[in-house]
Amino acid sequence: MSPTPMPSLTGGMSFDNMMCSRCGEGFEPHEKIVNSTGELWHQQCFVCAQCFRPFKEGIFYEFENRKYCEHDFQVLFAPCCGKCGEFVIGRVIKAMNANWHPNCFRCEMCSGELADSGFIRNAGRALCHECNAKVKAVGLGKYVCHKCHGLIDDQPLKFRGEVYHPYHFICTACGVELDSSAREVRSRPGFANNDMNELYCLRCHDKMGIPICGACRRPIEERVVTALGKHWHVEHFVCAKCEKPFFGHRHYEKKGLAYCETHYHQLFGNLCFVCNQVIAGDVFTALNKAWCVHHFACSMCDQKMNQKTKFYEFDLKPACKKCYEKLPIEFRRRLRRQHEATPKKLVPA
Amino acid sequence: MNQAPVSCIPNTSKMSKTKKVLEESREIQNPELDLADKGIATFEEMPGLLNMLYITRLTLSHNKIKNVPPGLANLVNLEILTLANNHLEELPLSLSSMPKLRILNLSFNRLYGLPRGFGAFPMLEVLDLTYNNLSEKTLPGNFFMMETLRALYMGDNDFEYLSSDIGNLKNLQILVLRENDLIELPKEIGELTRLREFNVQGNRLTILPPEIGNLDMISNKSVFRLDGNEWVTPIADQLQVGISHLMDYLRSETYRILYSRYLTNKPEIPPPCIDKAKKISRIR
Ligand SMILES: [Zn+2]
Ligand SMILES: [Zn+2]
Ligand SMILES: [Zn+2]
Ligand SMILES: [Zn+2]
Ligand SMILES: [Zn+2]
Ligand SMILES: [Zn+2]
Ligand SMILES: [Zn+2]
Ligand SMILES: [Zn+2]
Repeated sequence: MSPTPMPSLTGGMSFDNMMCSRCGEGFEPHEKIVNSTGELWHQQCFVCAQCFRPFKEGIFYEFENRKYCEHDFQVLFAPCCGKCGEFVIGRVIKAMNANWHPNCFRCEMCSGELADSGFIRNAGRALCHECNAKVKAVGLGKYVCHKCHGLIDDQPLKFRGEVYHPYHFICTACGVELDSSAREVRSRPGFANNDMNELYCLRCHDKMGIPICGACRRPIEERVVTALGKHWHVEHFVCAKCEKPFFGHRHYEKKGLAYCETHYHQLFGNLCFVCNQVIAGDVFTALNKAWCVHHFACSMCDQKMNQKTKFYEFDLKPACKKCYEKLPIEFRRRLRRQHEATPKKLVPA
Repeated sequence: MNQAPVSCIPNTSKMSKTKKVLEESREIQNPELDLADKGIATFEEMPGLLNMLYITRLTLSHNKIKNVPPGLANLVNLEILTLANNHLEELPLSLSSMPKLRILNLSFNRLYGLPRGFGAFPMLEVLDLTYNNLSEKTLPGNFFMMETLRALYMGDNDFEYLSSDIGNLKNLQILVLRENDLIELPKEIGELTRLREFNVQGNRLTILPPEIGNLDMISNKSVFRLDGNEWVTPIADQLQVGISHLMDYLRSETYRILYSRYLTNKPEIPPPCIDKAKKISRIR
């Protein structure tokens, strides 16, 4: 319903057999007559059927042959919007047992306009088709395709953070239609930007030489750790005992497994202070340290020592007698004062 | 006039000893070269040494070497270099480029500083700087970038402060700061979670950052030496009972409060140790 435009005023004519539509009286010769859609009124009779006041700017609304001013028309007849509570003038959406401005009738999940696209009633809510499908899919434990909004019955394809029917895509390299085994590849390594991702079929993906993690079998797109003849995600290369990732810290290999320092020691023995390798054979232990057979030596002259060699100690390092005696006298005096520097015999492990 | 015949047989007995060792080593391509206590003063007394690229260890302890030529860095396979007890006053810049060097012993020398970029060693694991004249003022900026370091010996030097960059040395297991002039320790030492030998004996320390309490210094594999400092009474008291009591105390709320209060009160700094004035490393 829209307001009717300003009626025209007719004057200076004889209207003997004409009457006012409201009061039924005739018109005086020079009287101004209101003419609106073929009917005539005294100017004082062309008023709102409710408040009897002239129409503001001549705008009136008609309902069942009566004319009303905008205010009264809205009060008497116009519907209220179920969302914003204002009168709805113009297009009214009647839905869900209420009236709405087209603008105000929206999907309760995504707030998309429903006026033209239609809606579905779902548990007392008005939803767009897409959201309704999603709700249904979740209920069924399934996904909804981001492209066609249909249910995905088989395995979905994840791409740029959304799920799809795999058959909407082809392999970037060979053009074959994809299935759910397709791989998403960041085309700019090191960038996390999803928009740069591309899809490849498994065969092309493997040919690209993208390493596969030995633990989770997924491709590795960030830093690759190569160890034990395999590739690993940094966070999936872990100690076989405590399962903590090494994160670049040294690891020790034994029988195809990797261990952190602590657990390698716990399980398999000591590290040599000089070569920093795990000691396979005999171990010399002294001064809070261990040495392999090849590396138990004087810390100053590198001369090999054995079980029988007497040695001196400072800063928990072994020094042979010859070297110790070459140290500055004042140093040795200070050292003696600190701890009685008696020659110590090695305790064989 | 008759000229003396040219001879390739060395004629001074002292020279011959060093050269003999070199020759023998070359003959059998021995990767380990022992030249300790040979009275060597310069590298010129060791002809051809810098071409013996196959050597992995070079031991030159107890000599009188004052200067190391930059060409030593040619020995790209060297893993162990021992220059202990010489007369070194400075080192060449090239040293830190040695690609395989793992153990470097420069103890008992006369080093007042280290060359620029010294911290660039790619593989260094053990660095022994005991008994020199080093201080925080003479360390190169990248000194604490040697992440591969597992043992750092800096006892008997002249440090009053230690850079907070020490926290970078994540692999450090041994840190010896014995008998310096240390006035305080940076809290970053608490980040050295692998530390198991820590020696700050004989400094001017009065208080420890509470972060030291994070270190595992009470296992049977750990040694923590703290005596010979000017500890505040509560620390001295805990030390009397034992390291484990001290570590518990450092982690307590009581200590945190004491520590922050102590710092705001601007404590008096104990005087330096006079004892070290007699160090022979000071001879110039
Ligand atoms: Zn009215
Ligand atoms: Zn509305
Ligand atoms: Zn929606
Ligand atoms: Zn689809
Ligand atoms: Zn993985
Ligand atoms: Zn472990
Ligand atoms: Zn060894
Ligand atoms: Zn020795």
